[in-house]
Amino acid sequence: MNKIVSLTNVTKSFQHKTAVNDVSFTIGKGEVVAILGPNGAGKTTTISMILGLLKPTAGEVQLFDHQPHEKQVREKIGTMLQEVSVMPGLKVREILELIRSYYPKPLPIQQLIELTGLTEQDMKTMAEKLSGGQKRRLSFALALAGNPELIIFDEPTVGMDITSRNRFWETIHHLAEQGKTIIFSTHYLQEADDAAGRILLFKDGAIVADGTPSQIKARISKQSVSFIVDPELPLEKLFLHSEIDDIYRKNNRVYIQSSNTDRVLELLFQEKIGARDIQIERGKLEEAFEQLTSGAKEAI
Amino acid sequence: MKIFQMQCKYEIIRILRNRYFVFWSLVMPILFYYIFTNVVNTNAPDKAEWQAHYLMSMTVFSVMGSSMMTLGIRMVQERSQGWSTFIRITPLSDTVYFAAQMIGQSVIHLLSIIIIFIAGALINGVSLTALEWTLSGLWILLGSLPFLAIGTLVGSMKKVETAAGVSNVIYMVLAIAGGLWMPLEIMPKVMQSIGKWLPSYNFGNGAWEIIRGNMPDWRNILILIAYLALFMLLSKYIRRKQEAV
Repeated sequence: MNKIVSLTNVTKSFQHKTAVNDVSFTIGKGEVVAILGPNGAGKTTTISMILGLLKPTAGEVQLFDHQPHEKQVREKIGTMLQEVSVMPGLKVREILELIRSYYPKPLPIQQLIELTGLTEQDMKTMAEKLSGGQKRRLSFALALAGNPELIIFDEPTVGMDITSRNRFWETIHHLAEQGKTIIFSTHYLQEADDAAGRILLFKDGAIVADGTPSQIKARISKQSVSFIVDPELPLEKLFLHSEIDDIYRKNNRVYIQSSNTDRVLELLFQEKIGARDIQIERGKLEEAFEQLTSGAKEAI
Repeated sequence: MKIFQMQCKYEIIRILRNRYFVFWSLVMPILFYYIFTNVVNTNAPDKAEWQAHYLMSMTVFSVMGSSMMTLGIRMVQERSQGWSTFIRITPLSDTVYFAAQMIGQSVIHLLSIIIIFIAGALINGVSLTALEWTLSGLWILLGSLPFLAIGTLVGSMKKVETAAGVSNVIYMVLAIAGGLWMPLEIMPKVMQSIGKWLPSYNFGNGAWEIIRGNMPDWRNILILIAYLALFMLLSKYIRRKQEAV
């Protein structure tokens, strides 16, 4: 009964393309989940469907075992969208008061100020006169206004400076400790790694990996052995060994990917291919992430 | 109920803070009223009747403008700034949201009517019976419905600039061709026959009849209802088309 979000075979097609293709996952109470992926992977579309802003073409989205647009669901969620929203003609304090009145158990204004770093000066400013950073803080406060159980952020740190970013993640950490369920999307692996307990890795509208940050890292950052070899020499026979996941050339070096680099070294000598300047490389995480999400690389 | 009250309260605050509203709906009509009843000599045969007639014209002009422009432009603003999307995620229901906007708008109209009526009484000593004041006020309040529907049409536009420009043009054309600035009777015949079919003329004529001790014509009421239905259907159609994407 602690299933907060569940997507079952959800697909969303627009006129020209399928943005999300047959995605299924469930998120339990208290989880902090990052929806990770490059631009155009379907992150925002997925979040919009969770929020009930878009209807899936096929499949079902449920929040707290109900439809996303039901009032009792809305009372339990808070959200910060990519596009910052302000209500023209009202001061920050008035907007917060208004939005708080929509919820049965809102957070006190004072607590919202403390959590989001809004200043007394911000509170008196008209919404349309806010700077980008102030608008972000207001959006964050609006997301928390109803004391939500489930908080959803779409690319929350875009446009934040380092200080606000740190402060934001600190607050998220604090909220997670209170048992809130948090979903956020990002295209930074680092951010997902630091803040989330679970990563859903999206690529081309589908989930390509689902696990803890360390599981994901282990999956995407493969170790490899690199060396220089006569370019004329065929390397096909290396493919016959099942331990080798992939072979590719980059900057005049040959890279052999495998989880067992010791075995690769053994093979190199066994096959006598004349490899020089051999190095064992622990794949850089960001690089591996880019490789995984940016399509096929040059094969030999 | 608390949500509804809060929503209404803040809708009203927002309109009062809008400089467009204060200028177009209060300052302009009162200024025009002063000019066309005191500065310009209109050679009206019955001066008191002209003063009451033109007071109605200007009140109608004011309420018509804020129905179309204040509501429409605000809708575009809310959508372009992402607020409408955010509201859809909150527990606020569409019905309450819409109702609060309409109530807020009506309270503002009532306020405009009272202020302009008082201005008329102060500037020219316009004196009507209590029944005439009440009936004409009510007529103007209810007669604004087709124009609120035009407001929602304006509200379906994408950019604030377009919405402001287009609604301003419609506003002026309706006001002049409907005889709100100067009576239809002094215009060319062609203009008169077109004007009689415009919603603005029929809106104004109801009030003009009331201050002459008559009741609004059935024709006026029917034409306004027809326009209301037309604009509502149109607005609904556009909305459905926009949501279909």
